[in-house]
Amino acid sequence: MKLSDIMAHAGLAGYAEVAMVLFLLAFAGILWWVFRPSHTAEYRRAARLPLDDDTSLHPEGPRAGSDQ
Amino acid sequence: MTGPGARALEGSPRGGALLDEFSYDDDVVRKFLFASVIWGIVGMLVGLVIALQMADPRFNLGLPFTSFGRLRPLHTNAVIFAFAGNAFFCGCYYSSQRLLKARMFSDALSRIHFWGWQAIIVAAAITLPLGFTQAKEYAELEWPIDIAIAVVWVVFAVNFIGTLVKRRERHLYVALWFYLASIVTVAILHIFNNLSMPAGPLKSYSIYAGVQDAFMQWWYGHNAVAFFLTTPFLGLMYYFMPKAAEGPVFSYRLSILHFWSLVFLYIWAGPHHLHYTALPEWATTVGMLFSVMLWAPSWGGMINGLLTLRGGWAKVVDDPILKFFVVGITAYGMSTFEGPMLSIKSVNALAHYTDWIIAHVHMGALGWNGFITAGMVYWLLPRLFQAPLYSKKLAELHFWVGTFGILLYVVAIYSAGVTQGLMWRAFDETGRLSYPDFVETVARLVPMYWTRVVGGALYLAGMLIFLYNIVMTWRRRPAMYEVPVVRAAPLTREVAPEPDGGKLGGVFPLRLHRRWERMPLLFTVLVLVAVAVASLFEILPTFLIKSNVPTIASVHPYTPLELYGRDMYIREGCFNCHSQMIRPLRYETERYGEYSKPGESVYEHPFLWGSRRIGPDLAREGGRYPNLWHVRHFANPREIAAKSIMPSYTHFATSAIDWVVIPKRIHAMAMIGVPYGDAINNAVPMAKAQAAEIAAEIERAGGPAGLADREIVAIVAYMQRLGQDIKGASGKGASVTGASLKGAPVAAAPTGGK
Repeated sequence: MKLSDIMAHAGLAGYAEVAMVLFLLAFAGILWWVFRPSHTAEYRRAARLPLDDDTSLHPEGPRAGSDQ
Repeated sequence: MTGPGARALEGSPRGGALLDEFSYDDDVVRKFLFASVIWGIVGMLVGLVIALQMADPRFNLGLPFTSFGRLRPLHTNAVIFAFAGNAFFCGCYYSSQRLLKARMFSDALSRIHFWGWQAIIVAAAITLPLGFTQAKEYAELEWPIDIAIAVVWVVFAVNFIGTLVKRRERHLYVALWFYLASIVTVAILHIFNNLSMPAGPLKSYSIYAGVQDAFMQWWYGHNAVAFFLTTPFLGLMYYFMPKAAEGPVFSYRLSILHFWSLVFLYIWAGPHHLHYTALPEWATTVGMLFSVMLWAPSWGGMINGLLTLRGGWAKVVDDPILKFFVVGITAYGMSTFEGPMLSIKSVNALAHYTDWIIAHVHMGALGWNGFITAGMVYWLLPRLFQAPLYSKKLAELHFWVGTFGILLYVVAIYSAGVTQGLMWRAFDETGRLSYPDFVETVARLVPMYWTRVVGGALYLAGMLIFLYNIVMTWRRRPAMYEVPVVRAAPLTREVAPEPDGGKLGGVFPLRLHRRWERMPLLFTVLVLVAVAVASLFEILPTFLIKSNVPTIASVHPYTPLELYGRDMYIREGCFNCHSQMIRPLRYETERYGEYSKPGESVYEHPFLWGSRRIGPDLAREGGRYPNLWHVRHFANPREIAAKSIMPSYTHFATSAIDWVVIPKRIHAMAMIGVPYGDAINNAVPMAKAQAAEIAAEIERAGGPAGLADREIVAIVAYMQRLGQDIKGASGKGASVTGASLKGAPVAAAPTGGK
């Protein structure tokens, strides 16, 4: 029995629902992972990364890419 | 491997001072900036030309290489890959170095990436007007250029990942996630959609056929939008919006949720481009479902971007940069609301094949990509050229001219789309099509096409103001750019005190260090898993289930001459305006005949179902009109239908058939499984015999003589073959009415599809 025969008899009427459940499981996992309170401090620091990149590194020297 | 700029500075003693000294490579950023804006203007100028061609066909100029079918791919490729691509590279190279506290991995790779990409764009600008195309939207470029794209993309990937590895910042900011996911996914999409069998130096056939090819193309096509125009620009938004708003992103958690939800969902959405086509229904249902779900993360991202301004809305009044960002992000929100809506089958039935889709993409491209690029570039100009912006007033003018341009464009083209969609499906009280003559539904749009010309011209005017402002700022640059020295602590592999005093990982420093080292790899693997699961979930059944493509005994490969004619159809870009896929909807079967079956396209390498009907569907064109009608129609469509906007193809009657290429093409087709039998050895005599027959018939009917070696007979042979395979035959599971092929309105044809 070839794989194509198995697939042909699989019946894909509920395929979209299976895919959706798969995604919802993944989404629940992501939600849990993102909203763990233990990450709050790290996220707060990370959110400031774009703002810190041309000032905090060399406070004494010339500002990299400084505004005119 | 580090660049020359960094070499002089790096390697400060590790023991004493803990800080590395290095500099950023802004030279390559400046190069990409200029490339983006200049190519953007070129691409939009071509867009303006093709907009004029739709308003008045005389703008096709009667030359083979200036017709709409050849210029439209040039426009799309130029704005997607040259304008948006270079803009992404510009912002990516600027922000990645700063977010990673490291110079790019290799200056040489940065230069190869820049010049390689520009060379590819030049190759595209030459080959597309000359008619070298694979006939797959946004993947038109022929196989040698595809290989070059893959090589340059790998150079970019190595350069980017190399920078990740040598970074001095432990955390990878979310913008970098968007960049990395884009790089990885675009590579996969590009390679698998472009697998083809070469049949000459600039000619190839997709290894997939019909349903499978359509599926692969729109898996690619939709994700080209997702991973070339959306995720890279979201990365730019998450970096440059906080910069411009001078505050951190509204919610970092939401940005991570935004990222993973997009990556998990986007890959599934492709089949929504193929609703009611011969693609299996389960596939389009999956595509619709995931497209609708995409609405949530997209709006989460839009809200996250806009709320980054919290408390700073007053600044929008004075700051053109923020204006561009706010309108750009709003355009993202509007496009990503509309996209899921258009993916719903019943909405799609109205919108598909109409200008509605064109309006949708222009809201995204002009509003989102164009304005995010403008905001980013205005923010970068003083920093890159180390001089104040030449004129804030001109930047404001650019913003307003561009915004009015977008509004005029989309309002006109939304109206055009809905108008034509409704006209196509209108029946009168006797149950006949209200507008049986297709050209009526086109002529109605001409005023809207002129409005689009005005809107597009305004947007282009904004771009010219933009370029002027850039050049004038550039002229104020110092004689020598200052290259600031940046100092940052290296990330050590040993256990060392945390830079933040151990608050975060002090308890488990070892674990934390291993984690940051592995992060890019782990991250890449997770993205690959998300992309692969979704792709395989849809692709495997499409390829494995025999019943998806019921074979029809009467469907045969094209004759050598018809194949040559089909290649002309591809060369001229006819598929840009004509679909070959009749949907199982009553107003379609009434107009065009029996709906298209999957089994009819089993030898279609590549598939030519099309995505827009600027002209009528051609799936059942064969036998509808005499040969001489086609000869006259190609020479001057307006002689047949006065209001037609189709370009004239006078050169078909004068250019000679290139008999030499025919055996090569038949051979290539046979290599990918088309059963040509002894036609492989006999292709040229077969083609010449068929050409002589058609030429004689045209002459007998009172047409011009001596066409037997002219290209016109090949394209006529192809036109007359379309839809003929199942004429009178019985396709599996559906009876075919011969009458429906004659062009006369027939009584209710079956409307399947459910």
